[in-house]
Amino acid sequence: MKRKILAIVLVLVLVLSCVAAFTACKSKKTDAEYILDKGTLICGITLYEPMNYFNNDGDLIGFDTEFAEAVAEKLGIEAKFQVIKWSSKEIELNSKYIDCIWNGFTVTEKRKENITFTQSYLNNTQCVVIKASNAALFANEEACAGKRAVAEAGSAGETAANELTTNVTPKGAQVDALTEVKSGTADFAVVDVVLANSMVGQGDYADLAIATGIQLESEEYAIGFRKGSDMAEKVNAVIADLLADGTLQTLAEKYGVAGQLIK
Amino acid sequence: MSFSEVTLQLLNGFGTTCLLFILTLVFAIPLGLIISFGSMTKFKPLRYLTRGFVWIIRGTPLMLQLFVVFYVPGMLFDTPIFATIENGRFVAALIAFVINYACYFSEIYRGGIESISKGQYEACAVLGMTKGQTFFHVVLPQVVKRIIPPMSNEIITLVKDTSLARVISVIDIVFAAETILSLRALMWPLFYAGAFYLVFNGLLTLLFGFVEKKMDYYKV
Repeated sequence: MKRKILAIVLVLVLVLSCVAAFTACKSKKTDAEYILDKGTLICGITLYEPMNYFNNDGDLIGFDTEFAEAVAEKLGIEAKFQVIKWSSKEIELNSKYIDCIWNGFTVTEKRKENITFTQSYLNNTQCVVIKASNAALFANEEACAGKRAVAEAGSAGETAANELTTNVTPKGAQVDALTEVKSGTADFAVVDVVLANSMVGQGDYADLAIATGIQLESEEYAIGFRKGSDMAEKVNAVIADLLADGTLQTLAEKYGVAGQLIK
Repeated sequence: MSFSEVTLQLLNGFGTTCLLFILTLVFAIPLGLIISFGSMTKFKPLRYLTRGFVWIIRGTPLMLQLFVVFYVPGMLFDTPIFATIENGRFVAALIAFVINYACYFSEIYRGGIESISKGQYEACAVLGMTKGQTFFHVVLPQVVKRIIPPMSNEIITLVKDTSLARVISVIDIVFAAETILSLRALMWPLFYAGAFYLVFNGLLTLLFGFVEKKMDYYKV
C-alpha cells in the first residue's frame, strides 16, 4: 500500500514539473515580435488554383503565394508556405506551426470570434454546382429546397447550403463535395466560385456545371492571424502600400482575379 | 496529367508511407515487449499504470493521438517542439504510431507469454536455468511462433493506418493522391494508390506465410 501511494505521488510530481517547465517557457512577446524576430512568416495553405499551386517546373506560384511574398519582403522577413489540411487550419494556427491562414480565406462573423483578420483583399461568391444534365432542374434558389446538398464542413458554402435546403452533408474538402455530386450521392454542392471556375467542366468533373440561375451572397477573402495578433495591423499597412503602388493590381491581372480585387 | 507523372508523385508519397511503416515496426516491436512486462508485473502500481495507459491508447482514436502529439505542445505550452526539427511532422506521426502500435503489440505478447504453461517454468527451474535463460531460450521462441498470426493482422492494418498521418499534413501516398484530385480534378490516382497498398500487403502476406512455415519445427 505504501509503495502504491509513493508511486502515485512520484507520477504526480513528474507530471506537474513537466507542466511547470513548459509554462515557464511561455513567451511574453507579442505575436508580431514573435514572427518578426524569427524572420519567417509561415503561411498555411492548401493547393488550389489560382491561389497557391505548383507550375510545371515545380515552383509554388499563385495569387496568394506572390502576394504573401511581396508582403513579407516589405516587412524584411521571408514568406514560407506549409501545406495543411484545411480542416486543421485553426489548430495549426494556435499551436504555432503556421503564423497565418493565407489561402482564399473567407471572412465570417463566426470565424472572427477566434481569428483576427486583416482587411479583405478579394471578393468571392459561393456558387451551386450540379450535374450539367440537371441544369433545367436548378433554375433558381427555390428549386434547391428539399434537394440533397454537400459542402465543405465549416465553410461559407455550408452556411449558404443550409439556407437553400435542410438536407446538407458536410464534407472534408470542397473537392470531396464535387465528387459527391458527380457520383450522384448528392444533388448539388456549394463551393467557392474561384475553385468552381478552375475545376468544373474539366477532367473528371467535365459533366458538372455551375447553376447560373442561382445567385448567392458574396463574401470576402482576408488573411487570418491568431486571435488578438498585432501582426494583422502591420500587414494591413503593407497591403495599403501594395495597393497604392499598383503591385496588387498587377498580380490580380496575372492570375485572372482583377475583377474581384478590393481596392 | 500523364500516367507516369502520377506514378512518380505517388511513388514519392509511397516512400514516406513505407518509411513510416518500417520505422514504426522497428520501434514498436521492442517497446511492446517492455509494455507487456509492465502489464504483467507483480508490482501493482506499475501494473495498473501500464494497463491504464494501454486502455487510453487502445480506447481513443489514433487520429486524436496524432493531434495530441503534434499540436498540444504548441497550443498549451506555446512551444511547437516539432517546428524546429527537420521533418517534424513525420517525427510526430512516428511517435504517435509507435506508442499506439506498441500498446496493441503488448497485449498480443501478453497473450502469447501467458499461454506458456507453468510446468515449463518449473522444468527450467529444476534444470537450474536462470530467469533470463528461461525467458529467452524456452519461452520467447514458442511465443514468437504463437503470435505470428495475430501480429501479421496488426502489421497489415498498420500499412493502411499510416495514411492517417496525413491529418497532420505528412505527405504520404493518399495525401499525394488527394492533392492530384484537388488540383487536376482526377479521381483515378486515388484508386491507383489503393493498388500500391494491395501489392504491398500481398508481399507481406507471402512473407508471413514463409515465416510461419519456417517456424514449423516448434511442435507445441
